Amino acid sequence: MLYLFSLVPVVLAILLYIIPYIRVIRVMALLAQLAVTGSAIYVFFLSKSGDIITKIGGYESVLGITLKSDTLSSVFIALTSFLFLIVVLYGFNEDSGRFYWFFMFIWQGLLNGLFLSRDVFNMFVLIEVATIIVSVLMMYKRDNRSMYDGMVYLMINTVAIQFYLFGIGYIYKLTGVLDIDVAMRIMSQMEPSTFYLPYALIMTAISLKCALVPLSGWLPKAHGTASAPTAVSALLSGLHIKCAVYLFIRFQIFFEVIDLSVFFMVIGIITGFVGFIMALAQSDIKLILAYHTVSQIGIIMLALNIPDAYSRTGGVYHIINHAMFKSALFLCAGIISEVYGTRDIYKIKGVLKRLPLVGAATIMAILGITGAPLFNGSISKYFIVSGAGGFVSVMIFLINLGTIISFIKYSTMLFGKSEDCGRVKIDGFRQVAVMILGIICFTGGIFGEQFIHFLFNIDVGVDAAGYFEKIFLFAASVIAGYVIFRYYVRNSLLLKKISGFHLSFRGMCASIGFFFAMVLIMIRFFA
Amino acid sequence: MSNIGIVEIFAVIVFFISFYGLITSKNIIKSIASIGIMEIAVIMFFLGIGFFDGMKPPIGPNLENVADPLPQALVITTIIIGITVCAVNLSMLITLCRQLKAADWDIVEKKSSE
Repeated sequence: MLYLFSLVPVVLAILLYIIPYIRVIRVMALLAQLAVTGSAIYVFFLSKSGDIITKIGGYESVLGITLKSDTLSSVFIALTSFLFLIVVLYGFNEDSGRFYWFFMFIWQGLLNGLFLSRDVFNMFVLIEVATIIVSVLMMYKRDNRSMYDGMVYLMINTVAIQFYLFGIGYIYKLTGVLDIDVAMRIMSQMEPSTFYLPYALIMTAISLKCALVPLSGWLPKAHGTASAPTAVSALLSGLHIKCAVYLFIRFQIFFEVIDLSVFFMVIGIITGFVGFIMALAQSDIKLILAYHTVSQIGIIMLALNIPDAYSRTGGVYHIINHAMFKSALFLCAGIISEVYGTRDIYKIKGVLKRLPLVGAATIMAILGITGAPLFNGSISKYFIVSGAGGFVSVMIFLINLGTIISFIKYSTMLFGKSEDCGRVKIDGFRQVAVMILGIICFTGGIFGEQFIHFLFNIDVGVDAAGYFEKIFLFAASVIAGYVIFRYYVRNSLLLKKISGFHLSFRGMCASIGFFFAMVLIMIRFFA
Repeated sequence: MSNIGIVEIFAVIVFFISFYGLITSKNIIKSIASIGIMEIAVIMFFLGIGFFDGMKPPIGPNLENVADPLPQALVITTIIIGITVCAVNLSMLITLCRQLKAADWDIVEKKSSE
């Protein structure tokens, strides 16, 4: 019955497109999304006791297409359904046209299909169609800037996916199957050196979709596009980028004979640093958040490549946490920029007074992303650091310090005096949506151990003394961060200089080639 | 794998020619065309996987020494997606071109950010 996760949203999308009454559409979308979320959680409970396998058409696993829900994919499906539920709530009273919900629900169906699929070619089809849908959603308001960003996004992702397809063709040539489990069994009897080329091809494509550093030029353009609907930006940063990380986890298991984890750790560290440095240089709130996505993906990538079970679990938990706080930040930023009519961080003042609930949700999300004690980011970062060596944990600390500096700058907009001080009344559904996400950032921290046990069946204990030490470390880094922000970042010429730095389309294509060559060389000499 | 056919070698060459096109072309239409060529190279590779000299097409009652039909089924899906991507890209480009009166990467980038 797993195919229903893909089928129901698509059928629903078509129904919503046909029905002409806007009220019916809203209520139906909300109820249906509640049902999908409920069944996703139900499947999650079922998957905990064992994998669920659906064979479409009743063929054997090698001949037909199988859908399989294990712990990882059921967590991702629950996350997808939940975030879409939040987005439906957020847009409940919004008049956004019929096409909007049509594309949104099809997008959800594609993502669910991607997480359930065990067939590498189906993964290609689903992620590529999702890319097309996203690019259409991004330029929904049809101005020049978003049109250009949507085009660059679609083209660069298409180029990357050709590399992926080439790699799949090579794997099919070697093994004769497309099912990921069966192919893995066949590959385990072969010489590892035969997979060097498909590994490099597939990993180049996935690295671009993850926006690792030489390949990250498209992400700020796509996620930070000014006129894209807020919900789309939130889902892009919160969820869509996680598809690529999910594929990375899958293919890391798939190519287990090729161990390139040190290389990806280094790339992850560089990505983390570049992300927050570029974020510091921006003044557009959407762009700041977009660059922080790059930085956090670097941390996740680093965590997934540390050879330690705790760190990897922390990495997967950080994926979920990042989805929560980044969606909350983007949704709040959307409301704030709508109310103030600007996206310039230095012109917005006094959000807490004018929009108290939105400001509170922003604060909770900021505390989450900076890894403040008792919030969800601190738990996942604690587990990531617990398995890492000395050098890596120092690097994570420095990246976190950079994130803190950048979010001190971000939070300046919450305080201060606004020109017109009156409270602004905003739609109740939107406030509920952002508050739910904010509260989850908090509960995800307090009940972190229970959550991890619940999600991944892994018993972890937070060492009280070690955690206490982290609290002091956090307090110290906030003070250091404030000092650095006050005396250096505010009037730094260097940061102003790099703020406009970006790669052109040709530059991005060249960096794909460069990354591909680098991976090949690394495998040749180090794997 | 030692048995790499002539079709596959040709596919790899075409793939990297189109990559060269992507890196060097200044015109957006040329970039879109390069992506199309890249897709064709991958399609050619897929067709080369299941075919060696002397094989027959997998049609009819006598199914001995036939080419592998699965890559051909995959290729049809790939072609459809390729057409969709091309269509979406071109329609975005047409809208941009009408407003900005340019199809050059540098000019379009400069004008669209104003």
